[in-house]
Amino acid sequence: MFKLEAYNKLLVSASVAAVVALSVVGCMDGGATPSGAATSIALDIDGGVSYPVVNNKTSDYYVNPQAIGAKINNGRVPNAAELAKWDTDLQPVTTLSPEGHGIPEGSGSVEDGETLYEAQCVMCHGDFGSGGGGYPALSKGNAVDLQKTLTNNRWKDPEADGPTRVFGSYWPQATTMWWYIRDGMPHPFSDSLSVDETYALTAYILNINEMYVDGEEVDDEYVLDRAKFLKIKMPNVDGFEPNIAGADVLPGVKAYFGKASNFGGLNLNQGAVRCMTDCQESTVKVRHILNGGIKDFLPPMNVTRDLPSKEVVALDIKKTYTESCAMCHDSFLAPGSGDWAGYTPKGIDKVYANGINGTEGGMPAKGGADLSDADFKTMVDYLISAKVK
Amino acid sequence: MADNKNLMNRRDFFRKAAAVSVTALSGKSLLANELAEKGDPAIMHHTKWGQKWGDPVSVNLYGMPSAYEHNVTRRNTKLLASGNFRASIAVTPIHESQGIITPNGLFFSRSHGGTAHVDPDEYRLMIHGLVEKPIVLTLAELKRYPSVTRTHFIECPANGGQEWRGPQFNSVQFAKGFMSSAEWTGVYIKTILEDLGLKPTAQWMLAEGSDNSKMGRTIPVDKVLDDAMIVWGQNGEALRPEQGYPARLLVPGWEGNLCVKWLRRLEFSQEPWYCKEETSKYTDLKPTGKAIQHFYANEVNSTVTSPSPEIPWTDLKDGDVVEIEGLAWSGMGTITAVDLSFDGGKNYVKANLKGLVLSKSWTRWSYMHAYKKGEKLLLTSRAIDDAGYIQPTIDQEIGVMGVEAVYHRNAVETWEVTEEGKVNHVQIRSI
Repeated sequence: MFKLEAYNKLLVSASVAAVVALSVVGCMDGGATPSGAATSIALDIDGGVSYPVVNNKTSDYYVNPQAIGAKINNGRVPNAAELAKWDTDLQPVTTLSPEGHGIPEGSGSVEDGETLYEAQCVMCHGDFGSGGGGYPALSKGNAVDLQKTLTNNRWKDPEADGPTRVFGSYWPQATTMWWYIRDGMPHPFSDSLSVDETYALTAYILNINEMYVDGEEVDDEYVLDRAKFLKIKMPNVDGFEPNIAGADVLPGVKAYFGKASNFGGLNLNQGAVRCMTDCQESTVKVRHILNGGIKDFLPPMNVTRDLPSKEVVALDIKKTYTESCAMCHDSFLAPGSGDWAGYTPKGIDKVYANGINGTEGGMPAKGGADLSDADFKTMVDYLISAKVK
Repeated sequence: MADNKNLMNRRDFFRKAAAVSVTALSGKSLLANELAEKGDPAIMHHTKWGQKWGDPVSVNLYGMPSAYEHNVTRRNTKLLASGNFRASIAVTPIHESQGIITPNGLFFSRSHGGTAHVDPDEYRLMIHGLVEKPIVLTLAELKRYPSVTRTHFIECPANGGQEWRGPQFNSVQFAKGFMSSAEWTGVYIKTILEDLGLKPTAQWMLAEGSDNSKMGRTIPVDKVLDDAMIVWGQNGEALRPEQGYPARLLVPGWEGNLCVKWLRRLEFSQEPWYCKEETSKYTDLKPTGKAIQHFYANEVNSTVTSPSPEIPWTDLKDGDVVEIEGLAWSGMGTITAVDLSFDGGKNYVKANLKGLVLSKSWTRWSYMHAYKKGEKLLLTSRAIDDAGYIQPTIDQEIGVMGVEAVYHRNAVETWEVTEEGKVNHVQIRSI
């Protein structure tokens, strides 16, 4: 019943490194230790702590030991057609996988791509992929040149040019674009483009990024197909860390995130005491928000506690009639629809006034309905005009 | 009081009541004498709700907040309105948050193709790839697995990400509210994998949503076999549509976008996927020109929630003892301590943790302060977790990351308290 052993085997089989036990951070300078905290920590792949189950507890949570390693065997095995229908993802060409994964046969031209783009994409992504309207740009020009802007940083000179992160200059793999176009685009009608249309749009986006594939310029006459697609090398393919491609890479990922200086973290190594006095760089200044900052909050910021101002609700004549008028005016209790000849000679304004204010022993004010005078008059007109039936 | 003529005049009475409440807000005591003489109208007068029937229990069968709380809402801004608000975010009013749980209606909402409304009868979860036995589960079958319930925050890694180059939001809701915390109920993925048998070559898991964007992310199996969950319960009820009803991934402590909503598919593979939201976005560009990909954990972080730009100290009197309160959290472990500075991070005192201190969860902290009218303060909080991480200064963080990274900004943040008790968002930095 308790198949803890099986679970441990699962861990090992997935090349998860054995948890590294470290003595508890003794460097906390008397910092509070949460109750129930483990006396040793195990480092996770993210550089943080993991909390293995010890004595049926993981950190502060009890666990049911019977649930660990239990075989539930719910569900059923999907058939091949079902798998094929949902397994639409793409993975790029790598050393381990020279054909990538999920990249289908098909082709499309830059010319067809441009036509499709003008019909279905330009309204959001702008002319030639220039972006706008809250949707991302797909190109800002020559991909190879713009890749060189990725070292731009505006930390000293706010007026300087920042880095340009668009498909051509930044994205490491073209499979990402192909996959997202087919499954996620166009945004309001996703999952509607064919394989060939997806190749055509991808070709057009390569074209506006002024890219080359296998030494050949993706010019206006270019036709992209699967074989050519497999040869696309993005200019920024080596622009990311840690490495995630290949076999047995997870220990390397773990080592990367185990080192705080890789990602701007600050770790008090064992024995270190955190600074409590005179901790600051002498060069610091107080930086205020410039030009009022961003404050177009929707809804506007408001922390008062009051009743909301009443919204103006459009009058629903039939609903109001049914709920507030029909009980009397559809019976002998009060004049019904079209039966007003005896009341209107004093003028319609008198009828309105009686209705709004109510009459002694008869009409309740506005029939008890919560209506503006104008809406109430509309209801009176409706009743008098014999439109009810 | 019926014989008191003044109090019988209702119109006059309410005019004065209004004056008294204005007084209370402004912290002045113009009508103090009148108050002492006639008593507080809120006490002396019969309330509107105290002398008539309340609602029958048959009203509001699913309860709603008091109408007076209508300003406590998520908010968004045009700056973050991509895709006609469908690849966008609405952020949580953390200045109004109580404790370490966000009510479901206020939980921050981020999607990449709009909120999907999934029919639970048509919900299917497929798990395949490098497993001995692929399966497809209905919702009922998924929920039949043994459940676990845990409290975790979910944070968008862009929380604070608009402010690498300087403060922009004079608001704690927008400066730090790209996060929320809830008690989640679901099943560990490792429990399901007991049935399926993970093949030894599997290193990565793709999680894919069924929404319009087919939101996808790649997760290393280390995390899958540690504490990653598929959850269907949130604070004791079903997930809200905005949170991925009927089931989403929960990757405790890691980037919110990894917690894929409207989850329909998990696939295991030897190599990763390069999804749109893990290459074109959610990558941190450093000054070296290299970008960090697969940046998983939201690092140790904290903020002062009271006072804040939304909750200023303009009504405090000299000598008032006030609780400075805030939140601390770490996706890498458990909060062990929070420090508070009154001078922008030069000198710190130890603040006190409050309530439950859980791993990868919001943690409450506070410090009692005797307010001196007219004092100018720079309130900076700094959290430490049990992995040994401590929040860096802005200079320390941008020294490594530059200012173009967008995501994972966790340097200490500062509120300026002015002489009048107003609170402004500032940053203490060299450049």
